[in-house]
Amino acid sequence: MKVTPDNVREYIQQGLDCEHVEVEGDGRHFEAVIVSKEFDGKGKLQQQRLVFQILGGKMDVIHALSMKTFTPQQWAEQD
Amino acid sequence: MDEKTIALEKIKKTVTENPVVLYMKGTPQFPQCGFSGRAAQVLKACGVEKFATVNVLEDQGAYEYLKFYADFPTFPQCYVNGELVGGSDIMLELYQQGELQKLIASAAAR
Repeated sequence: MKVTPDNVREYIQQGLDCEHVEVEGDGRHFEAVIVSKEFDGKGKLQQQRLVFQILGGKMDVIHALSMKTFTPQQWAEQD
Repeated sequence: MDEKTIALEKIKKTVTENPVVLYMKGTPQFPQCGFSGRAAQVLKACGVEKFATVNVLEDQGAYEYLKFYADFPTFPQCYVNGELVGGSDIMLELYQQGELQKLIASAAAR
């Protein structure tokens, strides 16, 4: 099964209340920027675990996912 | 003991006996994945003289079961003092903040 960046974005949006999601990738390696208030109060590791939990078994076809995760506040403070 | 239990025991032993451990695809000299190579470079940039590495492409137990050890499904994974720090994204971010260097210095001092 071929996975597109749009698929990955939809998978994330289905499981996570996101303010913003961007996904780029070549079908094997993906890079995502994810902003969600569900990240509030969590460290980066916990934030990534949450996204991986949402993706669950789909990680078998998503070979590699690089993530930048932000709370809405952290996102607002970005340059 | 079943295969999974044996693999998880081995992982536990490795990460507790070595202050810094990188599970990666390939080796620091010949990484087989861009993210693994980046992770090894970040550790080198932290001034770590020696860090233990496990090439998951040659360790079937780690390849299959590492994801269960710390509930994290991808490679590479970096452990300091037996705790998962994260994959290459988190390592790079902590390095840029100067936090990874501090964490590793504290591990080396133990």
